[in-house]
Amino acid sequence: MNLRSALASIARESRGSRGRLLFFVACLALGVAAIVGVSALVEAVRAGMRAQARELLGADLSVSAYRPLPEDLALQHQLIDTEFERTEIRELATMASSSKNGRSQLVEVKAVGGRFPFYGALGLEPAKSLAELLTPETCVVAPELLAPGALALGDALSIGSASYVIAGIVRDEPGRLGLAFTAGPRVFLSLDGLARAELEHFGSRIRHRALFRYADETKLHGGDLQSWEWLLARVYLKDAEYLRFETYHDGQPTVRRAVNRVERYLGLVALLSLILGGIGVAMIVRAWIAERTQAVAVLRCLGFRPREVLVLYAGNVVLLAALASALGGLAGSFVPLVIERWLDELLPTGVELSWQPLAIVRGVWLGIGIALVFSLPPLAAIWRVAPARVLRQEAEPLAAPRLVTWGAVVLLAAGIFAAAWVQSDDLEHAAAFTGGLGVLALLLGAAAFGLTKLAARLPRERLSPYLVHGVAALARPGAGVLGAALALGFGVLVVLAMALTERELSTKLERALPADAPTTFFVDVQPDQWTDVERTLGAHGATAIEKVPVVTARLKSIDGVDVEDTRGRGQGGRGRWALTREQRITWLDALPSSNTLVAGALWSDPAANELSIEEGFAEDIGAKLGTRLVFDVQGVPIDFTVTSLRTVEWESFQINFFLVAEPGALEQAPHMVLGAARVDETAEDPLQDELAKVAPNVTFLRVRAILAKVRAVLDRLALAVRVLGLFTVIVGLVILAGVASSTALRRGREVALLKTLGVTRLGVTGLFATEFALLGLVAGLVGASGAFALAFGFLDIVLELGPELPWHWLPLAAAATAALAAASGLAASARALNTRPLESLRAS
Amino acid sequence: MTVPRIECRAIVKRLPSGSALLTILDTLDLAIEPGEFVAILGPSGSGKSTLLGLLAGLDRPTSGEIRIDGERIDTLDEDALALLRRRKVGFVFQSFQLLGNLTALENVLLPLELAGVASARDRARELLAAVGLGERGHHFPSQLSGGEQQRVALARAFAPRPAILFADEPTGNLDLATGARVLELLVELRSRENTTLVLVTHDREVARLADRRIHLRAGRIERIACGAAASA
Ligand SMILES: Nc1ncnc2c1ncn2[C@@H]1O[C@H](COP(=O)(O)OP(=O)(O)OP(=O)(O)O)[C@@H](O)[C@H]1O
Ligand SMILES: [Mg+2]
Repeated sequence: MNLRSALASIARESRGSRGRLLFFVACLALGVAAIVGVSALVEAVRAGMRAQARELLGADLSVSAYRPLPEDLALQHQLIDTEFERTEIRELATMASSSKNGRSQLVEVKAVGGRFPFYGALGLEPAKSLAELLTPETCVVAPELLAPGALALGDALSIGSASYVIAGIVRDEPGRLGLAFTAGPRVFLSLDGLARAELEHFGSRIRHRALFRYADETKLHGGDLQSWEWLLARVYLKDAEYLRFETYHDGQPTVRRAVNRVERYLGLVALLSLILGGIGVAMIVRAWIAERTQAVAVLRCLGFRPREVLVLYAGNVVLLAALASALGGLAGSFVPLVIERWLDELLPTGVELSWQPLAIVRGVWLGIGIALVFSLPPLAAIWRVAPARVLRQEAEPLAAPRLVTWGAVVLLAAGIFAAAWVQSDDLEHAAAFTGGLGVLALLLGAAAFGLTKLAARLPRERLSPYLVHGVAALARPGAGVLGAALALGFGVLVVLAMALTERELSTKLERALPADAPTTFFVDVQPDQWTDVERTLGAHGATAIEKVPVVTARLKSIDGVDVEDTRGRGQGGRGRWALTREQRITWLDALPSSNTLVAGALWSDPAANELSIEEGFAEDIGAKLGTRLVFDVQGVPIDFTVTSLRTVEWESFQINFFLVAEPGALEQAPHMVLGAARVDETAEDPLQDELAKVAPNVTFLRVRAILAKVRAVLDRLALAVRVLGLFTVIVGLVILAGVASSTALRRGREVALLKTLGVTRLGVTGLFATEFALLGLVAGLVGASGAFALAFGFLDIVLELGPELPWHWLPLAAAATAALAAASGLAASARALNTRPLESLRAS
Repeated sequence: MTVPRIECRAIVKRLPSGSALLTILDTLDLAIEPGEFVAILGPSGSGKSTLLGLLAGLDRPTSGEIRIDGERIDTLDEDALALLRRRKVGFVFQSFQLLGNLTALENVLLPLELAGVASARDRARELLAAVGLGERGHHFPSQLSGGEQQRVALARAFAPRPAILFADEPTGNLDLATGARVLELLVELRSRENTTLVLVTHDREVARLADRRIHLRAGRIERIACGAAASA
């Protein structure tokens, strides 16, 4: 057969089945629209997060060190192909004093030479830019430093050997999220201004920082920011160990983890929506081939080889799939418009969604490919059609060659793997996804098979006639019940798994920041001042008041090795810094809720001074369970044994420590109290004034702005997850309804026979409803179990979320599937139910 | 001696029926010469259709040998059988077995295209005209009467000039007059194209036109009658 006649016969084959054709197109178009739409949403979330993450750092890249930055950093930047900006910054903690009230306190100075920040904005009062406010003679300070009657705008603040006029107030600052290490309120200076203070004479440790903004990240050496960072740190800059690199990707841990989770979820959703479309296609093709069995037999009699018949039908699938995918791509390309028009909360201001021709092209190809591979297993039925059917309708089906059956399955698996690879761009994830689906399909198949066998065994005498018919239909050999149950079950699995992960992930995101997270911290409270502080807090309506003792100490030795000797041993900047910085240790009876033990047991060794360390920090300093640490607590060495490791949800904004000691070990040591509380915004200023009188040495830190920012990010992510989840679940339900109804095609003859036997229309409806409902129940039960397994695995292992799934959904999902199957099955049989029997019998 | 067009030796067809094996055809021997017209007769359930299916390679015997033009067909795989049918065999069935989504003309065209015949369209038109349906080529089977459908099936079967035509009660679904007209056509086309014809029928009138009549009973050949018999 030549191509032209092949095309012609393909075109002819699609005649006379407009209904199914339409459904095929709708099903696949929805799937492809979902893919294209999902990539638009993913892009929206990524663009939003990128913008937000940049705002959190204020730049693309930050390079810093406690010594002047190397010349090479500038040299290397002369070699890159994209425009960039660089801002020089010096940071240090020092004492500031006011001549007005004679008070002095620790502040964090940030001297800026250039544009700052590159992304986001400083919340400044008056509303001018930092550069406008800062001269060598002025400073801009955090509101915590000001107090009515004490310091105010226009007053002077002394730092080192210079004095500065307070020219503005900063309420919000990008990049200021490292709460754990904040020493005091912020003071901005210009670089020239800092020079005037001559702080070098005061022996301050100055952090030198360079912030970079790049016009086009992709033009950097290595092709992206992270590779560029790596090249700088490992290749271009000699002996760069003392340098600390941060990109906006590193961001704030809460946000970073949330974004990672959401991106993984988005990847899963995009893949699953694809699979859903494929299941729809498989079911339609299955029903179509079943309906065409007689035609296939005739073609075989005319001398068509099975593979030629396959080409005929597969060609049809491809043509239809191309049409459907193009339509779907078109529909999906409107999703960005929809987001911009109706879901603008998803996008931070200033971020625009671009039209994504690539995503559309990819979606169309994926649509065609998935349609083809998913149609192969049902098309393998062509080999089973006996040509002898033309003589005798009931002729035994032939056995399909092994090669064909397995070939189809292997090609399907390979197709899913390829699609997963294209979608996730990660070979390992694609393999895990394909393998996982394979295992689930096997389990589903085994369960469905077991249930049909059970149905065959069920004694039918005592059942109602409707149930007899339904059970018999389930048990009927070779009726494709297994395939239908598998497809329907898989559809249920996918939809429910998406709904479950959506629900769990979005609630976790919303709950990540507790409603009573503190908005203010109180640093360096003397233990005997606490009662006064607490009373003052109470008077200003503060809630969620917390306090913990804090002991400052330095690490002396690890397992008997002095830290001074450990320092050189190839540890990165963070490790070294972790070893030598001043540590804050607290003691606690029990861990707060944001902590989870991952190794050892809390306070389990009566003989030793026990210490519980945060997992990442333990790694940084090279400590394990049983490691002995000696701390120098203000001149007194104290021995500790590490008896437990824990993880900390820093995003909880609770007070948390890397190091927690057993009660009793440190009580004798001099300590301060760290307090936290939630205070209304309007109460913040009066509270600060009052505290300045009650406990003038206490530093008051406001974190409301940061809290609001993090909350905004998390809320946006949760919204994205909700929207995507709902979108795909709805698409899934539509396809699922189609799958369910495709089991009802070819009913015309059966209906006609039943009617000629004298069964009323209502009777037939009842019979069918029972049959579909039973099938739906079986598929729903099996699929829902699979969904819980998949969702649990994904949430627990991939997202490490410790899911709490609503297990009572399981029977509900099975019942809902039964209802869905019955409803859509009846809808699909409606025409057959309404035709006069003679017509159907004659037509066959 | 020439090679018979169709030859079968000791063919047996058994099918499982419940736990027992049902013997449908029991050790049949038969040879059909090129150009011969053979009618197969017998009561319902005697195995006529089964035998036809075996001879045409639509089904496989449990044991025994079947040859077409000297070539064993019972050992061929599905692909080879399909190619054999494409080259040599045409069919007409009791239930017309037209492809419902193709027009009459397209139904006739299909085997011609498959065989790669050059002037397929002309040949198809010519045959449709020969069965008296020259004007109905664009109609779909559902728009044709039973007799017309069967005539389209005849045109389709003869179109690629098969060496052998198998027909299973081609008039069984038609009224007497229509059936007679279809048969007349069948016999006429057969002699024009010199096709070997194996025809299963209940109709003794029709069978009388055959060169040989093979009577089946309970899966065995009861008797064979030769010569185009005179009227009964
Ligand atoms: N696949 C099968 N399974 C069980 N029995 C079969 C099968 N195929 C044929 N038979 C039986 O074999 C016997 C012969 O069938 P066949 O169709 O060849 O009869 P026939 O002579 O063509 O009858 P009719 O004139 O009614 O068409 C019948 O009893 C039939 O029931
Ligand atoms: Mg018969």
